[in-house]
Amino acid sequence: MTETALDIRGITKRYGDFTAVRSLSLAVPKGAVYGLLGPNGAGKTTSIRMILNIIAPDEGTITLLGLPNTDQSVLDRIGYLPEERGLYKKMQVRRVLRFLAQLKGLGAKEADRRIDEWMERFSLKTADKDWGLAKIDELSRGMQQKVQFIGTLLHDPELVILDEPFSGLDPINAQALKDTVVDLKKRGKTVIFSTHLMDNAERLCDSVCIIARGEKVLDGTVAGVKQEHGGNNVALALAEGGADLVHRVLSDHKMVERVDDSNRFFEISLQKDADPQALLRRLIEAGAKVQRFELVQPSLHQIFLEKVGATGVEVGMSGHG
Amino acid sequence: MDKLWVVIKREYLERVRSKWFIFTTIFGPVFFAAITILPGYMTVKGMKNSRVSSIRILDATGTGLGHRVAARLASRKDTAAVSPLQGRGAQATTEAIPSEVEDINPPRLAMAESVATKAVIDKINPGYLVLDSATLTKGTARYAGRNASAVGQMELMQEAIRQSMIASRLEGAGIKSERIDSLIRMKVDLSTVRLDERGRGESGIVNFIFGFIVAFMLYMMIMLYGQNVMRGVLEEKMTRVAEVVMASVKPDILLAGKILGVGAVGLTQQIVWFGSAAAFITYGAVMAKAMGIPEMKNFTFPTVSPLLFVSLFLFFVLGYILYSSMFAAVGAMVGSQEEVQQAAQPVVLLLIASIIFIQPILLNPSSTLAVAMSVIPFTAPVIMPLRMTAIQVPPLELIGSLVGLGLTCWLAIWAAARIYRIGLLMTGKRPNLKELVRWIKYA
Repeated sequence: MTETALDIRGITKRYGDFTAVRSLSLAVPKGAVYGLLGPNGAGKTTSIRMILNIIAPDEGTITLLGLPNTDQSVLDRIGYLPEERGLYKKMQVRRVLRFLAQLKGLGAKEADRRIDEWMERFSLKTADKDWGLAKIDELSRGMQQKVQFIGTLLHDPELVILDEPFSGLDPINAQALKDTVVDLKKRGKTVIFSTHLMDNAERLCDSVCIIARGEKVLDGTVAGVKQEHGGNNVALALAEGGADLVHRVLSDHKMVERVDDSNRFFEISLQKDADPQALLRRLIEAGAKVQRFELVQPSLHQIFLEKVGATGVEVGMSGHG
Repeated sequence: MDKLWVVIKREYLERVRSKWFIFTTIFGPVFFAAITILPGYMTVKGMKNSRVSSIRILDATGTGLGHRVAARLASRKDTAAVSPLQGRGAQATTEAIPSEVEDINPPRLAMAESVATKAVIDKINPGYLVLDSATLTKGTARYAGRNASAVGQMELMQEAIRQSMIASRLEGAGIKSERIDSLIRMKVDLSTVRLDERGRGESGIVNFIFGFIVAFMLYMMIMLYGQNVMRGVLEEKMTRVAEVVMASVKPDILLAGKILGVGAVGLTQQIVWFGSAAAFITYGAVMAKAMGIPEMKNFTFPTVSPLLFVSLFLFFVLGYILYSSMFAAVGAMVGSQEEVQQAAQPVVLLLIASIIFIQPILLNPSSTLAVAMSVIPFTAPVIMPLRMTAIQVPPLELIGSLVGLGLTCWLAIWAAARIYRIGLLMTGKRPNLKELVRWIKYA
């Protein structure tokens, strides 16, 4: 697929002396699941707000589904789930959803039909209880998240933008969200989501863009990005109690460039000319009980750490990515 | 604008469905009647009911005037105190405790007064009245007492003294004392009529009350619904629903929809109120008769000219738009319920300024103060309609006031929309004036 769902060219947003986003360019092909990755305060939310024309960039252009994003009609074809979620607390669930659908140009009847469909799918409407008649503030947090999610998708958008969709979700809702994203992709929709959770991104995304301090660090397909950064990487898993035995081996910088130590699981980047076999030998000599030793491509997480590093997180900035 | 309509519909329906709306629509008139009519009713009732008796009269005239006054005060029958609702012919003739009269030599008056003062302080008498030579020559008398500020009672006393003096003069002129009473006991009811250019007149007092009610209603509606808009904006900001909505509609449309939707709620409420008031006035007499209540006299609804009606409507709409956009900006600026009342103070004060001046302006609707306040956009929505109920406002002033108000509205909406756009997504500290100006500039 060559058509682009989103084309950003050189957008910049400044707040006084502070530059939130600096000449960011990226393109998302239609039908892709695209991850916008970055630490908190990297400029993710600002970028997303600019994409949706909630705030205007100081410089640059944004094209959505082939139209400039200032064209109001194109926004009707987009679904948006903001990071900070909220609904009218005193309003009936069904009326909130109908309102959100009508704002996107959906007729009341069609909206009602789809509301029923979605409510049943997310088991908010069962034979003995219709939560649609309850007020928002009578719902549990998890249910409110579902309602918000339904509101995002009710008008069957071609492009769905989710800002930190996994934050605050319980495991069941997180799974439901993943399933829905996969389903959207199957139906040819484009999904863009921001996250700082690399695991989710790695599993879901076709392509990613990593930004830090308002600037793009890298972008491309997940496979491409990994290949590009695929040096000498080893995944190591130990049987219980072996961790202290391997520390000396792994802190040898002649051989090991860096280690992501998760206690029993290690992701190791070797120096370019180091021999993985030599490392395995030395680990065994050190008495480690190796459960797994595998030459792998680096995880997004590792690439992210390598590229952004600890300094990527700006201190004392707003909580908005 | 489809989306504008969707927003208006939500704002309108959610409010009209609320218990708050149903409650205020039903009990609003009751409450309003209670706070406007009741004090007036009590005053009038108190005035008519009051008897001035058992006071001490210090008579230094040497003509027996004090005894005449005492007799008149004591003989007053309380026919007027019977309210029309108390039924027919129930004339109260409560016996009054007679006042004490002291005939005093003029040189000893000062001492007698200090004794009387002490008696008042010791609560033996409610007060004392001094009649001296000046009473006879210049028609002046003095009263000192606890109830000196009771206007009705003082009027009664004044009337008693006047009648006593006339009586004594008539007697001096040789008229028989039996006839004097019937001669001087005459009451005049002055009914006032306001004339306009076309010569049509109405009762002045009815217009006064009508003007007061209109001005107060305008003030209340603008205040209530302006703050309602503010709370709505704050709710959208605090629940973060604003961001979802702003991904679908422009903030300007959201703001316009909110102001129009809430305004429509206000108009609905007024239509219900005025409709029921009109029905009450049209059928009230019939209903009252059916319930065995005697006819209500002198209660006519003032005729409202089409011009006044249209002006009332325009001033309400423009005044509401002006204040609600300012309130909306306040709602977008702050971050919590606690902050909002404080931040709204300046706007509230602007509005209160007009209500403070209702009375002086009603008393003198052509004064410079009245003209100025009816042209200044922030007070015009309340003061101009108020003046219009009292006098014929020159067309130029009316048009000038409307144009000024319209322009200010436009400016307020423009600035509010900019503050709103930025404020809705802001969190944290409330902006100071300098930052606010920057928001308006760069939005």
